[in-house]
Amino acid sequence: MTTPTAGRVNGPAPGADIVLNVQRLSKRYGQVRAVDDISFEVYRGETFGILGPNGAGKTTTLEIIEGLRSADAGAIRFLGVDALRERHWVRERIGVQLQSQALWPELTVEETLKLFRSLFRVRVDVEPLLERFSLVDKRGTLVKGLSGGQKQRLSVATALVNDPEVVFLDEPTTGLDPQARHTFWDLVREMRHEGKTVIVTTHYMEEAEALCERVAIMDHGLIIALDTPRELVRSLGSGSTIECGFEHGVDERLLAGAPGVRDIRSEDGRFLLFTSDAPLTLQAVVQLAQKEACAIHSLNVRSASLEDVFIVLTGRKLRD
Amino acid sequence: MSVRAFAQMVIAQAAMLRRNTSFWLASIFTAVVSMLIFGWLFNPESQAFDLAIVDQDRTEASQALRDVFTALENTEVREGPLEEEHRALRDGDRGALIVIAPGFQRDVERGGAALQVYYDNSNLIRIGYVTSTITAAVKAYNEQVSGRGDIVRLEAQAVDTEDVRFIDFLTPGMVGMTIMWVNIGVGFMLVNWREMGILRRLGVTPLRAGTLIASQAVSFALVSFTQVAIILLLGRLVFGVDISGSYLWLVVTVLLGLTAMLSIGYVIASFLRTVTSVNAAVNLIAFPMIFLGKSYFPLDTPPAVAPLVNFIPLTHLNDALREVINHGHGPAELWINWAVLAGWALAGYLLSMRVFRWQ
Repeated sequence: MTTPTAGRVNGPAPGADIVLNVQRLSKRYGQVRAVDDISFEVYRGETFGILGPNGAGKTTTLEIIEGLRSADAGAIRFLGVDALRERHWVRERIGVQLQSQALWPELTVEETLKLFRSLFRVRVDVEPLLERFSLVDKRGTLVKGLSGGQKQRLSVATALVNDPEVVFLDEPTTGLDPQARHTFWDLVREMRHEGKTVIVTTHYMEEAEALCERVAIMDHGLIIALDTPRELVRSLGSGSTIECGFEHGVDERLLAGAPGVRDIRSEDGRFLLFTSDAPLTLQAVVQLAQKEACAIHSLNVRSASLEDVFIVLTGRKLRD
Repeated sequence: MSVRAFAQMVIAQAAMLRRNTSFWLASIFTAVVSMLIFGWLFNPESQAFDLAIVDQDRTEASQALRDVFTALENTEVREGPLEEEHRALRDGDRGALIVIAPGFQRDVERGGAALQVYYDNSNLIRIGYVTSTITAAVKAYNEQVSGRGDIVRLEAQAVDTEDVRFIDFLTPGMVGMTIMWVNIGVGFMLVNWREMGILRRLGVTPLRAGTLIASQAVSFALVSFTQVAIILLLGRLVFGVDISGSYLWLVVTVLLGLTAMLSIGYVIASFLRTVTSVNAAVNLIAFPMIFLGKSYFPLDTPPAVAPLVNFIPLTHLNDALREVINHGHGPAELWINWAVLAGWALAGYLLSMRVFRWQ
């Protein structure tokens, strides 16, 4: 069994246990390369994020690892075992939460957990799960009578009935309200404290930043970056992002030449300036606007984030 | 196969089916209502019929017999030439035609006379009470004449001598129909699960498709046997429909019937993707089956559709149920029906195992 790995800061220590090793994995649907020759490793006890827009290939990657889909090429080793062949062995040792909550409306909370539990060789007690997911009062309630957040918690609880080595969460907070999302994040952090390895896909960069020790950024079936959130942001070489729009056209080259600007992207007539010195750049932008007699109609300064990493890498925003 | 997983799946699905009231209620509702309508509204005792008597003997004895029939409350006795009455019977204007042959009185005095009775067996609702009325009247006459029950024997023509009433015929048909409705319904369940992502969710657990299917078969069997018991109990207590055969053969027949129907449900679920399309397919399959399979009415099969009728599993389920319930027959008469049902079950199982998908 795993032991809690407290006190770790940025990613795993050298030589950490590799739980999952994905090598040159590919999957096509007709002409579309859903997963295009990707490789990555996941270490024991870490929370590993796969961040990307819808259609990037995150879910397909997860489904191949889980054994729901076949791969066209590549190899997956799970705890040293060939996961593409030994699917049954893998299924005994993983916990999965799919995008759809996939619960029977006509079963009660307790019956649902007991049923899922019965499918595995290794089984945990239902009672602590009910307590941990705040479902004790709801144990006799039919699933169809639960709120969205309660269904979500039950769905995650079903992923833990076999005390899995790795928990897969596929876009777990899509459609949840902010409060339910934060409650959910706490539950994931709790899994990490227990020493569980968690692999989570998301298209919310806040979620990846809040939960993950390492993040793989996916786009068009490719992993375009993989590191800790902090390192990914640091790689931009800019601490802040200035987003600004003008009354009429301004020469992008003039903005790019402003002091502190490391990189620039334009989108919908607005500019994103990635800067290492926000005050200095801001001053230059205001001066430029005055000189060009062109009013600024929108301005926003924020710390650099994974969102900016994605924009720099792909030229697009993460969310549609 | 994990026994624990299997047992839990059976328990959970039985609970789901029980809570899905509209599903099991709807499937038995039609059967119960049909039995009540045909059994009560067309109540044997309350329907009058015309009885033709052709007396070719014209003696005291034959007169006494005629008087017995004339005294009956529900029958209107018609007398006329044989040919005319025969035509009236064929036209459906008479419930039955009794011919008292010349020499009737002499035969009675000798201690044994035959009475020719022609029934109109095209009217199944009427034939039940017509036969029982005539049988009762002749019995009364025999006792009145001699105190012995067998002086006058009925020689029935053109009718099943086992005296099967319509409700006797209908009850096994309703059992068959209900077995079909419920078990084809496994198709809804699977497609619904697939639409909700539940099959995908089960696909990432160690549960094997075979365990899932076996557990579903058992939970559907529990529902089916409960419904069969309800229908047979209703038939027995309200309408006096007896199960003349062995319960063992009845159970075997029900088991084979429900597995055949489950198989069809699986095949439907394997090929169709949405609950709406399953609904359409089930209706498309079920309604012709009910009528061609003789759940409600016997069918004088035109040769053109005979292969179709013999191909339909419900035909064989209904036939086998009638053999056991109405005629008390066993494996010697049932094996062909059983074999066809088993064939359907096996073919459907093999086909759906090939095309079954978790997602």
